[in-house]
Amino acid sequence: MTATSPTAKALDVTLDGVGMRFVGPRGEVTALADFTHHAPAGSFTVIIGPNGCGKSTLLRTVAGLLAPSSGAVLVGGAPPRAGDGRVGLAFQQPRLVPWRSTLDNVALPLEVAGVGPAERQARATDALERVGLAGAAALRPRELSGGMAQRAALARALIGEPAVLLLDEPFSALDALTRETFDLELQRLWQERLWTVILVTHSVSEAITLADRVVVMTPRPGRVAKTVDVDLPRPRPVEMAADPRAAALATEVREALTSTRALELRPWAEQEGVA
Amino acid sequence: MRRIGAAILSLAAFLAVWKIVTVVGDYPEFILPAPERVAEEAASAIASGVLWEHTVTTLLEVVLGFAVGATAAIVTGIALAKSILIERVLSPYIVAAQAVPILALAPLLAIWFGGGLLSRVVICALIVFFPIAIATMVGIRSTDPLLSELLRSLGARPAQRTRLLEIPSALPVLFGGLRVGVTLAVIGAVVAEWAGASVGLGVLINIANQGLFNTALMFVALATLAIIGLAFYGLVVLVERRLVSR
Repeated sequence: MTATSPTAKALDVTLDGVGMRFVGPRGEVTALADFTHHAPAGSFTVIIGPNGCGKSTLLRTVAGLLAPSSGAVLVGGAPPRAGDGRVGLAFQQPRLVPWRSTLDNVALPLEVAGVGPAERQARATDALERVGLAGAAALRPRELSGGMAQRAALARALIGEPAVLLLDEPFSALDALTRETFDLELQRLWQERLWTVILVTHSVSEAITLADRVVVMTPRPGRVAKTVDVDLPRPRPVEMAADPRAAALATEVREALTSTRALELRPWAEQEGVA
Repeated sequence: MRRIGAAILSLAAFLAVWKIVTVVGDYPEFILPAPERVAEEAASAIASGVLWEHTVTTLLEVVLGFAVGATAAIVTGIALAKSILIERVLSPYIVAAQAVPILALAPLLAIWFGGGLLSRVVICALIVFFPIAIATMVGIRSTDPLLSELLRSLGARPAQRTRLLEIPSALPVLFGGLRVGVTLAVIGAVVAEWAGASVGLGVLINIANQGLFNTALMFVALATLAIIGLAFYGLVVLVERRLVSR
């Protein structure tokens, strides 16, 4: 919670009654209904909820990839537009371009934005260093391990110095130990720069480790079931999970998730669908 | 080194079988000339400059026809891939043009575009067009949708997405089309020459066959066409190796 560096660049994110409907092959699907949340500038929000509750859809509206069907999404008071440089997005999969080196993959957002090659190279080298991948600049994505690839994807999301960082289950494909390391590193990176972060996850312990505020979502159509403030001191080490206050908060989040389960006993296919 | 050795060995075996067939069958020369007869004929055709004259013309048609056809096909293929409307409107014509035998179309095109180089380049380009356009379309459609979304999230404009993602994604399939197309270009050149030309390897085949009854000379022209096809195919493969590195 305590800032260790200025928050000058961070922007707040307002989700005001956001609704999202898609026309799918089996008729209209309501992915989000009246989702309201405010993430202050420089805060760390973790969104947690069952599969198919519209978490990813929600992030895509903040990234400017999807326009909400109803309600408003505001980043720093203005609607986001993909590529406006205010938002960095890391997906569940690393999504590295296979024929580009790691360095060129990380530099891709700058290339799209029209930054010259010398500056691209310098900044991408710097970004790789920040995520601990300095030695992998020349490697192709297929030569990277899963963890390294996800680091590269994180560096790519950070290279534009975004005011808001959106993370869509970025560590879910990693093994538990690697994941813990990533959570700590992400915390460290965030405390250095203090962007506004919105992270989507399935993991309660990850949520408690990282969040200022945990938003528990209902099954589809997704809305806020409960918000839990996590006012534990930072940095929060892995061992913190044993702390009684942390355990109590985790229980609170779990109970909120369980209380939505009654609604969740629907055919699997109905819950999947719109990612 | 081993590849070259294998190629020489296979060529030697081919010539040996050919020689054995002529000796065993003892065919008259107008049916199957012996390899050394064809070599003799080739030497004299090269010495007199006849072969060179016809070859240069055909080469020019192949190169221009392939360049024009491939360029038009790649542009069309990109448009077909990116717009369902364009695909719906254009593809029936493209398929129909491909289904009509080029042999039947060639005389018509010769009437429209005259007996000169232009009509032969057009015929050549037309036969090259289809496989490359389809390969481009299929290749671009094979672009990973997750990477497409990544580029959209970075605010890439459609032209940037095409340049940075779709064309590189399409390259392996596109080169499959180019390999087919470049060999078809040689066929197109000969068909075009048959529809009305006074010089070219297709013309040389006709002269040797119907004018001179010189089957050995016909073999020389056929072998030259095969070598042209092999050379251009090899060139495409070489470019492919440089560009497609995965």
